[in-house]
Amino acid sequence: MKHRVPRRRPFFLAFLLPSLLAAGLFLAALGDVLQYSFRTFIPGSLDVGGFTLENFLRIGRPIYLSVLLDTVTISVLTALFTLLLSYPVAYALVRARRDWVRTLLIILAITPLFTGEIVRTYAWILVLGSNGFVNSLLKDAGLITAPLSLLYTRFGVTVALVQFSMPVMIILLATAISHVDRNCERAAANLGAPPLMVFWRVTLPLTMPGVISGTIVIFAWTMSAFSTPQLIGGGKVLMISNLVYLQGLSTFNFPFAAVLSLLALLVAMGSLGLIRPAIRRLERRVALH
Amino acid sequence: MGQGAAAGTPPFAAETAVELVGVGKSFGPVTAVRELSLAIRRGEVLTLLGPSGCGKTTLLNMIAGFEEPSAGRILIDGRDVTEVPPYLRDTGMVFQSYALFPHMDVFENVAFGLRMRKLPKAKIAAEVMRALEMVKLGGLERRRVRQLSGGQQQRVALARAIVLRPKVLLLDEPLSALDKNLRAQMQVELKELHERTRLTTLFVTHDQGEALSLSDRIVVMSRGEIQQIAAPIELYRHPANSFVASFIGEINRLPPARCRLSGGEIVFSLAGIELTAARRDDLALGDGQQVHLFVRPEHLAVAAEAAGGRNRIACRVVTHVYQGTHTLTRVEAGALGVLQLRVPGGAVIERAPPGSEIGVEINLDEAVALPD
Ligand SMILES: Nc1ncnc2c1ncn2[C@@H]1O[C@H](COP(=O)(O)OP(=O)(O)OP(=O)(O)O)[C@@H](O)[C@H]1O
Ligand SMILES: [Mg+2]
Repeated sequence: MKHRVPRRRPFFLAFLLPSLLAAGLFLAALGDVLQYSFRTFIPGSLDVGGFTLENFLRIGRPIYLSVLLDTVTISVLTALFTLLLSYPVAYALVRARRDWVRTLLIILAITPLFTGEIVRTYAWILVLGSNGFVNSLLKDAGLITAPLSLLYTRFGVTVALVQFSMPVMIILLATAISHVDRNCERAAANLGAPPLMVFWRVTLPLTMPGVISGTIVIFAWTMSAFSTPQLIGGGKVLMISNLVYLQGLSTFNFPFAAVLSLLALLVAMGSLGLIRPAIRRLERRVALH
Repeated sequence: MGQGAAAGTPPFAAETAVELVGVGKSFGPVTAVRELSLAIRRGEVLTLLGPSGCGKTTLLNMIAGFEEPSAGRILIDGRDVTEVPPYLRDTGMVFQSYALFPHMDVFENVAFGLRMRKLPKAKIAAEVMRALEMVKLGGLERRRVRQLSGGQQQRVALARAIVLRPKVLLLDEPLSALDKNLRAQMQVELKELHERTRLTTLFVTHDQGEALSLSDRIVVMSRGEIQQIAAPIELYRHPANSFVASFIGEINRLPPARCRLSGGEIVFSLAGIELTAARRDDLALGDGQQVHLFVRPEHLAVAAEAAGGRNRIACRVVTHVYQGTHTLTRVEAGALGVLQLRVPGGAVIERAPPGSEIGVEINLDEAVALPD
């Protein structure tokens, strides 16, 4: 390649320059975080001491491991429920026969993107709170006597995260679904496949790349979720970002916050690495274009 | 295929496999198919022939069940299937774009319908192999469909449909995506395939050559309406109207002519000249009737002398298009406008270069006279 197109290289480099700069900055920050993680924490001071491995040993404590476990669990559940709830919406969005149905669905699916995360989170507090919408409804219906605790639970956090994630998932899935050749589905029906079978054997496999990338995106960004668990968890549900915040900005334990950050990064990349062979296999089976 | 079946080989001849009764389809204000009735005989190849947008695919989609007719009933094997969903209709569709399953290999594509019918594994494998042999794809069963050439994909699509022995095979311009040589080869193979399977086939094309060579009968459509239904030879020799006449093969349309009956002959006077034809049964014309004459290029010949003689007119050569076995020669024929001749061989190109004067003899023995 090098000797073949020598004249194009400076051209491409010019385009790469901004992203190289950004990558450089991120790497520098990451390097800084890395060096912090090996320093000794001096309580009551913003400065850090000399080299130590103690910060890494500290994450072995059950309380931190449970935050980690919660984070992964919430992320996995959020990704899966987002997928399950978004697929039908995306499908209807692409396949609705009437224009107004499609327009309505697009508006419903996309508008949450335009309300900020904080606003949406407070809306959920109104809905899930002990005097909130859900509890009042259930109480009025006589189904419960005491309010259910929905807020400040993993359940509440997951619900809010799912809603937060749905617009993006819907867009990714709708793109994948709109690329499915309608005639492939017709061919399947023509060969004797009932509608559900057509979906299962043709539509779903052909949209698998969208399903996979959507799920990964949602998993990864839920791993780093901050304000939703912060507000809806109310300190009772901690995800890694909240713990980093707590360590870094309440006790100013920068070294341990750095370790936690690195851990979150490793766990996210590690879990992606774990499911990668499965994804590869799926993608090879589907091999789109 | 071939004329044998058209003439009717009992016991099939009278049996109807698919019947459309007053079937029509509109998309909002657009009428894709006017209400029409049509019967496909068991075992025949019936071709829908017509220009792009005349409603061929729409008609096929209604038979397969992908579109609901706005009017009329559809019967397959005598059963009214108008309300029956596609997967219960037992039709075999080959799509214009093939619509193979990209996530399955050749074997799985062909096996799909058999799996839906829950046949035992061994039976499925045997049937798939037999179908692939039939379309000459033996040995390619583990190929991914994306790694196949256009012609091979076409064969997979065919195999996928015929392996189920559907009540009617619906072919939507299956050859249109292939290059010319491959198309000619596939025409022959389709014909052989039909001879082996004898599946009732509805074949859609806008290529009249394909229609003439493959069909037992041809349905000529235009703007959602049936223009004529006839066997290829009949269609070529006796088009029912000027649309069919100009759509099937090349034809010269002469200016309006007035008929005069004179003894055993009909005299047509048009644009100041007279042409005579022997009276024929299929040329039942009245005295004084106004008609258009349609003459095929192969019924025009270069005469020995420039003028004089029956049905001979003086022309000036415009161009020659050499085609190997014959030459298509365009001539300027005065009041008759531009005519096209089909002259055997290529000698005419040197004998009558463009610009030269020649005599052209119009043979009206097989001419078609259609009212305005
Ligand atoms: N889903 C649809 N909505 C609106 N109009 C349609 C639809 N499908 C077909 N039409 C119209 O109906 C007419 C017939 O279309 P059809 O696809 O049946 O033509 P065709 O004969 O198959 O043409 P081609 O040879 O180009 O494939 C066209 O005018 C087309 O624009
Ligand atoms: Mg079509």
